[in-house]
Order: sequence, then C-alpha cells, then structure tokens
Amino acid sequence: MTSKVMLGAGIVAALALATGCASQSSPPGGNNNGSHKVVEGGTLRLGSASSIDSMNPFVALNQDAYSTFEYIYPELVQYNAQLQFAPDFAKSWSTSSGGKVWTFKTQPGAKWSDGQPLTAKDAAWTFTTILDLAKTAAGNQAATLTNLKTAKATDDNTLVLTYSVPVANVLSNLQQLPILPEHVWSKYTANNGKALKNYANTPTDGQPVVSGGPFELVKFQKDQIALFKQNPDWYGPKPHIDGYGIQFFANDDAMVTALKNGQIDAVEALPATSVKTVRQAGLTVTQTPGEEFHDFIFNSNPKKPKNRELLDPKVREAFEYAINRQQIVKVSQLGAGQPGSSIVPPASGGGWFDKSLSPISYNPAKANQILDGLGYKKGSNGIRVANGHPMNYQLIFPTDGADQRSFEIIQNDLSAVGIKITPRNMDGSAAWNATIAPNGKYLNFDLSMWDWVPLVDPDFILSAMTCGSWNNWNDSGYCNHAYDRLYAAQAVATNPAKRHQIVDQMQQMLYRDKPYIVLDYLDIIDSWSKGWSGFVESPQGLYNALSKDSLVSAHRTS
Amino acid sequence: MHGSVYLARKVGLAAGTVFVAITLNFILFRAAPGDAVSNLSRVPHASPQLKEALRHEFGLDQSKWAQYLLYLKELAHGNLGISFADQQPVSHDLATALGNTVPMVLLGTVIAILFGVFTGTVAAWRRGGITDQVNTNVAIAFYSFPTQWLGLMLLILFAGVLPTSGMTDEFAIDPSWWAHLQDVLKHMILPSATMALTLYGEYTLIARSAMLETLSEDYILTARAKGLSNARIVRRHAFRNALLPTTTMVALSLGYVVGGAILIETVFSWPGIGRAVYQAVLQRDYPMLQGAFLVLTLSVVVFNLIADLLYFKLDPRVTE
Repeated sequence: MTSKVMLGAGIVAALALATGCASQSSPPGGNNNGSHKVVEGGTLRLGSASSIDSMNPFVALNQDAYSTFEYIYPELVQYNAQLQFAPDFAKSWSTSSGGKVWTFKTQPGAKWSDGQPLTAKDAAWTFTTILDLAKTAAGNQAATLTNLKTAKATDDNTLVLTYSVPVANVLSNLQQLPILPEHVWSKYTANNGKALKNYANTPTDGQPVVSGGPFELVKFQKDQIALFKQNPDWYGPKPHIDGYGIQFFANDDAMVTALKNGQIDAVEALPATSVKTVRQAGLTVTQTPGEEFHDFIFNSNPKKPKNRELLDPKVREAFEYAINRQQIVKVSQLGAGQPGSSIVPPASGGGWFDKSLSPISYNPAKANQILDGLGYKKGSNGIRVANGHPMNYQLIFPTDGADQRSFEIIQNDLSAVGIKITPRNMDGSAAWNATIAPNGKYLNFDLSMWDWVPLVDPDFILSAMTCGSWNNWNDSGYCNHAYDRLYAAQAVATNPAKRHQIVDQMQQMLYRDKPYIVLDYLDIIDSWSKGWSGFVESPQGLYNALSKDSLVSAHRTS
Repeated sequence: MHGSVYLARKVGLAAGTVFVAITLNFILFRAAPGDAVSNLSRVPHASPQLKEALRHEFGLDQSKWAQYLLYLKELAHGNLGISFADQQPVSHDLATALGNTVPMVLLGTVIAILFGVFTGTVAAWRRGGITDQVNTNVAIAFYSFPTQWLGLMLLILFAGVLPTSGMTDEFAIDPSWWAHLQDVLKHMILPSATMALTLYGEYTLIARSAMLETLSEDYILTARAKGLSNARIVRRHAFRNALLPTTTMVALSLGYVVGGAILIETVFSWPGIGRAVYQAVLQRDYPMLQGAFLVLTLSVVVFNLIADLLYFKLDPRVTE
C-alpha cells in the first residue's frame, strides 16, 4: 500500500480488504535463514502505517482488522505459502450434489479462550446470523455467503453448507470469514441486529476478547496499539512468541525511525523510499509481488455524450503505446513492481493470471502513427484535434488512491503525442461521485486513475467490471453483456479447468476493450530487525488475512 | 453602557453564533460531494447489501430536512449520535481524542504564551539593542518554519533519545499510574515543544509591539520624569496595558486548543482530535464531524467570551 495513513493505497479510505497470493521465495513454514536457532518466547512489536477501524467483524473494513481476525478467530480454511487451501478450523472437507453441498469436519475438542467449547455449532450460528441479517447488520459479510441457503451443524464436529446453485469459489469466500463465539455474540442479534454493530469487541475490565485463534486481544486503543498474548487453548500448533503488538503510526518516517532505533521489531508495507536506509541499518528487507495495481481508466459507457473518440479502441491503444510503464515502475515505485497488463495480477495464487497477456511496449512513434491514421492532426499549440475539438481532457485524480508521480509521467508522455490531460484532484469520496455522475449514469467523466487491491480468487475483481456492478464497484462505466455472461458462468464453474478457461477469456476481453490500462503491479515490502525470523511472506505482507502461519512460525533467533 | 447589559449582549451573541455554527456544520459536510456510503465503493466487503443497509441505518435515505430536524432533536437531548465509521458513540470517540489532544496542545500553547510574552517584553524594553535583534529575529525564524518541517527535524534529531511516536510506550501492559504519567510526559516533550516553538514567535512580536506602543505613552514619560527605574516602569505601569492585544491572541489560541494540531499529531502519531477529524472528513463521518466542530465552535466562542469579559476587567472603558 502506498502508506498513506489510513487511506492507504488506492482503495479508498482505509479499506483494502485484499487477499493475496503467491509468495516469492518463502519456504512453507516460514522465512528461516536456516543458520539461526529458534528462541522461544518474547513479544513481537509490529509497526503499521494503516489502522484498525473496528474490532467488530460486522463493522470493520480495513486490511489490518481482517489480518487481526485471522489471528483471533477460527476460519474454516486458510492458504498455505503456495496459496493453496489448507486446513484451519476445518480439518477436511468434501462436496456433493454437484457442488451444492459442502461438508466440513471441524477440529474436535477445540475450546474458546474462556474455556467454552468451540464447535461446528459456532460456525453454523455465525453463518446463519449473517444470512438472517444480510440486509441489515451483517451487510459487510453478506457477499462471502452468496447463494448459501442453510448452514447446519449435524454434530459438534460436522458443518454442512447447502447452496442454491454450485458456487465456484466457496473456499476462498469462507477463508475470509471469522467464526465468532455464539455464547458471546448471540445476545446482540435481537432487533435486526442493531446492537450487533455497536458492540466494540475490545477488552473490558481487564478481560481479553474471547478468542478462538492462536492469540487473544488484551489491549486496544484505536490509532495507537493492539496488543495480543498467546491463547493457550488454541487448537493449532503453539506459536513461538508469547504475544505481539501492532503500533499504529500516522506517518511512514516515524515508523521507519522507530524500526531503525529498535522501538519496534518489524513493519508491514515499508515505503519503497525507505528501503535503502533500512538496508543500510542492517535490517532484513523482503520484496514480494503484491496484489495491488494502479490503473488508468477510460469512461467506457457507450452513451457518454462528449469526447466520444475516447470510446474508440484504436485511440485507447494509442494511449497505451504512449505511456511509458517501465518509467512509471522505475520512478514511482522505485523499481518495486512491474508493468501491468491484466486486472488479475500475476501474484494471484491458482494461476488465474492469463500469461498470454503482456504489457504493450512503450512506443510513442506507433501512438503518433495511430492518431495520425485516424486523422487527428496536431493544432498550432501541439494538441491534436479530434472530431472538431482539441484532445484536451480532464482526469479525475483521487488523491488517496492514484499516484502523483505516475500521473506526471503519463501527462508528459501523452503531451508528447499531442494529448493534453489536466488533473481534477479530489478525495476518494468526491472522486467516486464525479465518476458515476450524473446520478449513477457515468456520463460526465472522460478519464481517471485509481488502484485496486484484488483478492486471491479472481471473482471479486472480475465482478468490478460487470454491468451489475455499476454504482457499486464499477469505476469505468464498462458494460458488456458478453462479459457478464462469462462472469456468471465462471461463478458456477466448479470444474477448475473450465473456470480457468472462462477467466482467461474475460481477461482477454478486457485487454482488448481497454476500459483500463493496467499501469503497474506493486511489490509488498516488509522489514524486520536482526534477531527475528520465521515470517511467512505473502502478497499481503507478513501480517495478512490469508493464513495464521506467519505469526505462529515467527520467532526470535539467537 | 451598564456592565450587565454589556455582559448580556456578549452572551447573547455567543449563543447566536453557536446556533448558526450548528446549522452550518450540518450543511457544510453534506454540501461536499460524496457521502459516508459512496466512500465505501472500492472495498470487497462493501457489497450492495451493505451499502443499502448503511444508507438506511445512517438515515441518509431520508430528506435533508428530516435529517436536520433529527440532528437538532438529538442535540437538544445532548446526544451527538453514533459514528458512521466505528459505530461507537461520537461523545465517546470525541472524549478520547480530546483527552489525548488537550494536555499536549495546552502545554505547548502555555509555554509559547509565557515564553513569547516574556521575550517580547524584554525585546521592547531593550529596543534597538542586541537583545531586541536576537529575540525578534529568532522569533520571526521560528514563526516562519512550517510546523511539519520543524516537527520532522526534531523527530530526526531526538530519535533514540526521546520518544518520537504515540503518547505512551504502547507495548507496556497495565503500568502503574505514576509510570504511565511519566511515560506520557516523556512522549509529550517533542510534540509540545514543536507546538511551543512554532507558536511563540507570534506572541513575541505582538507583545513587543504592544509594549513599545505603551512605552511611548505620555504617562510612561511622566513615570520616567518621576525617576522610576526601567524595570518598575515596565512591570507596574506598562505591562497591564500592553497585555490587551495579547489577551485576544491568547483567547483565540486557547479556543483552538481543542482543534488539536493535525500536522503535529500526524508527525508524532499523536492519537488526537486533529487526526480524528481528518479521518472523519475523508470518511464523510457526519456525526463525528458535527460533534467535533460543535466542540470546536463552543470552545472558540467560550474563550472569546472570556476574552471579552477579561477586557471588561482589564479595561473598563470597553463598555463606553
């Protein structure tokens, strides 16, 4: 993430619940240099330039919040270091009835941190509550249980989920869903769950939050600290550390200074600008391909009344030839990334990225040739004229999502081929309103820049380009019914090979129509001090919502 | 004009200002493009179901007029509402943030006032001399430094010596109250010093010019003619009169204490009201914004009222 306080990288404000994949070089079981001896105990002090908006899973949207839920709550499955599904609370699972019924065998004899039994019934209660309150208090979890009809615990260790249609990404959805202790939360569900969201879920009267994961939350002060100690009742392998804490910083410089001075032991999402100084200070720095990408957006609504030449795929191709993406990676990301091509990033697990798609190489001569070929001649001021008007466009620039240096590079590159762009700087909320204006019809804007942090499974990011996502996730006004049909088909394609084929087709369609020019994929940079090891890297960094492995295997070294 | 009429007029004006501010707070944030729900447009968990539920829950599906009436009604009952962002009572979130901000900013402001008035008075007293020149130039230099730059310089200089982020040692569990107090004070040094350094120059310049003006009055000449010492003239005859313009400045500064110091809070990761308001603006968290601006308005109005009343005491001619 670009490290901007809470409104980190591009996902507007605070919100990147991404899920990543494909770690670069981490062996399963952690990043252990081999020569070190594991020292048990100690508290890991993490620094974060983001924040936890809420400890309540029905309220939270931030990445750090979901990474925290990963460690304090059971989830049915998790990802291993290769981003394949691995057991968590579910020891095993099977499907029947053509993929409509999923049966999970859960950990026997498990306990919550207050000693109460942790069973499949807690999972059934959590899922049923979300289904019941999907339109009210549990709205933020509802999408993860799409098409689920019922969740039943047939005994203490068996959970049966019945879907109305076969769902292709059941496991990746369930991987994001914390299972809550029914005996703590059930009293808040009355009255359409009104009290469910007001429950802060923070330690009170010196009592930690009831946990079912490897750690329990003992202290939480918003924008300051979240402190955890080991949960001795956890069903999984015992962590090496006694506990960990995340200190929240309002700016990167203070965080990096604290790391160098030994006030904290590790940071997630180190800004690329700090890599050199941190390395010089003798700390470990890792760079892993991440999920986040920046994009250059064309308004793709065919009904858009003005500057309609921007709908022409040839014009878009000229833009793409004109933009020097290597330079963007080099200057904006200081080399910590690579030029982009598809909205499904290569860091995705499961090989969802279509390898046949590669970024178009920088070639301004070709861009000029295309634009000349279309008859868009340069005027006396150097700006081309298309259909009687100058190729002079405003670009929506969300200050908390897009990258300023990338914009400057693009502005210069386009100017060199006779296209002028001017930024309209706005915060995320205002930028979104300007994008869908007027009244959700996507008629006014020409261009914009933004970013995404997709999930491991491609379903979410692919859905952002559907007609059905207008006014929700769709920020380009792209609406292609053939694409939508493919989207619907992949959602129920329980045969992975078939789903891969459809997902590839969708990526090719977007590559051809170009609602986006994917500018760059960003690396995730983490750092920790000497004396620590064992972290499991991921496209979401060392503190992630993908697996409990990283902090379970993290340890001090001698 | 009678003293009580003066008082009643000032209090009435203050009350009117507060009401206008309450209404403006409501209109202002809603006039900005975007709202608390559209802000969630780019998060995987922000499903259409969630947005619909939130719009209803936040009352954003009602007319603006209905929302305004509801807001006034709740306010009349002393209820600031529930924060859109974390679903906790605004009064709770505000109290926490204010509790963090006020000691740090107040300490910095008070040091700035005392130091500024002192250096300003000394400069005026030694007008034209080396003391005056050094004092004035240093004050101007600090006055013109950008706050965040000065903060970052202090952070880099004192990293490793003094705490540079947060307001406590975050990893300590249940420290004793004494250890906690020491810890907070230590963390407060750099942010409060930044605050004091950026503010004091202004006071130096104002106190100096006020003092110079007073020192040129006829009655000061009379005092000199009577053979009084310089120190006595400044202390007994000039200081109180020279305080008048400074009082306004002080009242204004204290009024803004609750507004926090967003740049300082950001540099030193101080979890105060400035950061809270900034986040609330980005999230279009209307209840939080309304609550924060209400408190800010109230404090500015109240401190101005106090300044007016102090004027009345310092210089009874204001009622004439």
